[in-house]
Amino acid sequence: MPAHKQLNLTLRVWRQPDAGSRGEFRDYKLYSVSPEMSFLEMLDVLNEQLLEEGEEPVAFDHDCREGICGTCGVVINGQPHGPMQGTTTCQLHMRNFEDGDLIVIEPWRASAFPVVRDLVVNRSAFDRIIQAGGYVSVRTGQAPDGNAILVPSPDQAGAMDAAACIGCGACVAACKNASAMLFTAAKVSHLAQLPQGEPERKQRALQMIATHDEEGFGACTNTYECEAACPAEISVSHIARLNREYSKAMLTARQ
Amino acid sequence: MSWVTAALRSSVGKKFVMGITGLFLCGFLVIHLAGNLLLYIGDGTVYNEYAHKLHSNPILLFVAEVILFAGFLIHIYLAIVTNRENRAARGVRYAVKKTKREDRTVNLFGWTPDTTMFASGAVILGFLVVHLSDFKFGDIVHGERIAGLEPADKARILMSDAIRAGIYLVGSIFVGIHVSHGFWSAFQSLGVNHPKYNDWIRKVGIAFAIIVAVGFGSFFVWGISGGEVDPAVEEAPVGSSSVLETAPPRPDQYTQK
Amino acid sequence: MSTAVETRLNSRVPTGPLPDQWTKCKNELKLVAPNNKRKFHVIVVGSGLAGASAAASLGELGYNVTCVTIHDSPRRAHSIAAQGGINAAKNYQNDGDSTWRLFVDTIKGGDYRSRESNVYRLAEVSGNIIDQCVAQGVPFAREYGGTLANRTFGGALVSRTFYCRGQTGQQLLLGAYSALMRQVSAGKVKVLPRREMLDLVVVDGCARGVVCRNLVNGQMETYAGHAVLLCTGGYGNVFYLSTNAKGCNVTAAWRAHRRGAYFANPCYTQIHPTCIPVHGDYQSKLTLMSESLRNDGRVWVPKEKGDQRKPTDIPEEDRDYYLERRYPTYGNMVPRDVASRAAKERCDAGYGVGSTKMAVYLDFSRAIEEQGEDAIRRKYGNLFDMYEKITDDNGYKTPMMIYPAVHYTMGGLWVDYHLQSTIPGLFVLGEANFSDHGANRLGASALMQGLADGYFIIPYTVGHHLASQSLKPVTEAHPKFKETMIDARSRIESILAVSGTRTVTDLHRELGKIMWNRCGMSRNAEGLEAALTEIKELREEFWRTINVLGSGEAFNQNLEYAGRLADFLEFAELMARDALERKESAGGHFREEYQTEEGEAKRDDENFCHVAAWEYQGDDSPHTLHKEHLDFQNVELTTRSYK
Repeated sequence: MPAHKQLNLTLRVWRQPDAGSRGEFRDYKLYSVSPEMSFLEMLDVLNEQLLEEGEEPVAFDHDCREGICGTCGVVINGQPHGPMQGTTTCQLHMRNFEDGDLIVIEPWRASAFPVVRDLVVNRSAFDRIIQAGGYVSVRTGQAPDGNAILVPSPDQAGAMDAAACIGCGACVAACKNASAMLFTAAKVSHLAQLPQGEPERKQRALQMIATHDEEGFGACTNTYECEAACPAEISVSHIARLNREYSKAMLTARQ
Repeated sequence: MSWVTAALRSSVGKKFVMGITGLFLCGFLVIHLAGNLLLYIGDGTVYNEYAHKLHSNPILLFVAEVILFAGFLIHIYLAIVTNRENRAARGVRYAVKKTKREDRTVNLFGWTPDTTMFASGAVILGFLVVHLSDFKFGDIVHGERIAGLEPADKARILMSDAIRAGIYLVGSIFVGIHVSHGFWSAFQSLGVNHPKYNDWIRKVGIAFAIIVAVGFGSFFVWGISGGEVDPAVEEAPVGSSSVLETAPPRPDQYTQK
Repeated sequence: MSTAVETRLNSRVPTGPLPDQWTKCKNELKLVAPNNKRKFHVIVVGSGLAGASAAASLGELGYNVTCVTIHDSPRRAHSIAAQGGINAAKNYQNDGDSTWRLFVDTIKGGDYRSRESNVYRLAEVSGNIIDQCVAQGVPFAREYGGTLANRTFGGALVSRTFYCRGQTGQQLLLGAYSALMRQVSAGKVKVLPRREMLDLVVVDGCARGVVCRNLVNGQMETYAGHAVLLCTGGYGNVFYLSTNAKGCNVTAAWRAHRRGAYFANPCYTQIHPTCIPVHGDYQSKLTLMSESLRNDGRVWVPKEKGDQRKPTDIPEEDRDYYLERRYPTYGNMVPRDVASRAAKERCDAGYGVGSTKMAVYLDFSRAIEEQGEDAIRRKYGNLFDMYEKITDDNGYKTPMMIYPAVHYTMGGLWVDYHLQSTIPGLFVLGEANFSDHGANRLGASALMQGLADGYFIIPYTVGHHLASQSLKPVTEAHPKFKETMIDARSRIESILAVSGTRTVTDLHRELGKIMWNRCGMSRNAEGLEAALTEIKELREEFWRTINVLGSGEAFNQNLEYAGRLADFLEFAELMARDALERKESAGGHFREEYQTEEGEAKRDDENFCHVAAWEYQGDDSPHTLHKEHLDFQNVELTTRSYK
């Protein structure tokens, strides 16, 4: 393992006691950070230090710490999940930073994602978008044999590409319009590429977009910042598919 | 709410219409540029002929102008509405914001064509006001300076002013910047995204942007240099303003010089 | 010491031949009339594969369901992290698979410490799970003709594992989550995110509700219902470092245990051999890499202790491929528990590598030489990428370093064939129960069990409970709710009142060290006795020195964490006690005193062919041990050998 020297850092962290309060940045010095630490482990160390000093720890969301659950995510120096491509905050390591760096840490900023505390935001709007149609209506126990539904391998691969979305919200955080189009598109595109999604495809596109808008997310202006920030590397081609699905549904749905 | 209003109020529906009107306006740019380039042929005669032909059927012209105007209006209206909604969607601004895209070629201190569409659109709108006041309502705005002249001569006179020509140059560049994102982006908004064609759409978009910017921008050079104004034309009599509306073009007018 | 009670726990296993038992059971279950279903309220705690599938299926049937989860969304539950796949006896490959074979493999894999009837039922419904998930739109891998693809997994001679790239758990969870969201939009299920169950409300001996803390504002909330389903996962985080998510905890199960649910086989823990080793004191979590890597990777350590050379500079003759040496037949493909123990043995003997000397090499150089780097990249590219992201090392150029890590817990709350605990009305699903994996779980079986429980078992058995018990109407106004809530609140207040000097992480790390060293991959009586004392001391230390700042009436992650650690500190003692009491080696439980001359696990079927179910008797009295004897009428008890 290559030897790295330890880092001394200044962290500028957004502190906000609860949704109703005004937040502010606070600076913390952190010494002797190992480059082998993950970014969240660095925050753990900060919190241990704060506890010793009698200050309440910084709240941040995290769970699996292996890049799949989608719980973690902060904006690091203006970039959601930090500087690495295809990487969640928990998989970002401190070797990507330099000794003496100032690291500004902010929560996802979006009206639809109100701050819960410090770096924690409420992403339940995503659940409501899925509730609007991100499913196949099949009752438990009603399903035919798995091989009764044939899915060509490339279609399965395309659906899997979209279904890989971890629902972290980095797309919203990165988008200048705080649009959740990549998230919504990932689900619409996943089901639009499979025969199972066929019966409900029109309603799905219409209703999921209606909910997306009601939740207060912005519109897509094709800057593709979402794709660049997405830790699951979901492609914007899924947004195009969503646009197709939507316009087809808009023009041909029976209601 | 009918399905039409519901669809048009949705974020995707709005972008769909934005894309269609955008492409329609791109089409207009092509025709407009092609027409303008006629200025370079035959010392303005061809251009004038084209201009008069364009105006020969007032009903058709009116309909065309209404459609064009509607295209602009819808495009601008949607831009304003979505821009307002998009700003509201962010709420609290970031203290620091940095892109994660590494593939942008045009990037001026973080300003890129795709992130500044509203701003470039606003500049173009401002330019449009100037442009319409010059060429659509020029006779009223500029009065006797150009009233009644042949179209090519009007252009020559107006563009001979370096400041005015400069405005046109800036306008042209901004139109180029705007369509450099707008052209291919419209395809994405309309759902046209396929690995087989994406590269082509991108390339055509860039080429189109360059052609538009250079094409329209060239009149700046033409205006301040080659488009010198004949003093005789400059001092044309005031009364001839009604000539255009009443009489067909007189070829002999051009042979005067 | 604890008292062993030989009462026979009523497992409600149907009589008759094994293959007919589940059908017979279903035929005899009482039903709730369609119109009456909406009069019943079921509370589901947890939203992983088991919880989400159960809540969705019950909502679909017409019950009113409330689903509480500690996560900000049900989709975050740790089922999402499963990589490899899900087993099902479909026999799509025409390689002779059958329900029977899956049943036998699972029983054998569990080292003959699971209940035959449960395991058979699991194998029986496994095919339905695949059908259900396919219909939901789960993008399982496909052959070119469009049919479902399979991969091979450890512990089986047939190819029966269905998969979605390396994200099978994610896709299955998202499938269950989408079914759940559908019921939410239909108004049948209410999902309450960021709620932690802190206690179970038992009224007249039946589970009738839960006390939760709203994690956003700290308010205590109570929810009353006719049945409670615990789908709260495993307790691997008692070791501090594990491959579990940070939020995984034992609190819900432990609180239910304290209210009367027996805890079964807590000592059975699975250690996964291919994880990225520990690299510093600050480390918060271990990352697992799919065991499929062992198909092409060779495990070795230097022959000489403390060899300082770079691995690539160590010549063949100075390397000890210890798995190939010890197990010539299976070589690097021995089961998880065997591979893990062998790695520990080498490291303990001083042959470990890396800065901590607690790692072994996993070398792909021969596979790359034979198949080419591209072939290896196609098979394992994502794992090599992940390894590089974490360690900054290129696994193609230099051997990876791996070490075993805690991964899954087979023990859990005791349940009968209906998945009901010893408290009527309290059902336990998924990893939280003890039922199907015995002393060791086979790869790709956890997903199968979670979904089997939620989709295909609980919708029947909960209905039976509701139809057969004449449950009195109980609301949150019942005094038991207030009483239980006050208990829960006072625990929180007493944590906040300590205001000591040690942080939760600090104490948790210490507990983890005790458990890993004394109750980890190998255990002995002396160490376990010591652990019992050390855990007790640490628990006292916790209540003397814990330092939690802030208020209980706000979003306070440190407080949540402290509460969970407090329960781990109680639970750990039971775990060590169970390990001490089980004087044999079986599956994930290896007692050094009980091994063959070659160092292999030695079961004692004479004395320990039972489930150890522990009953809580109060803080000051030892637990009572109940034994459920395991009858093996269909498979023969044999010794596993991988030589």
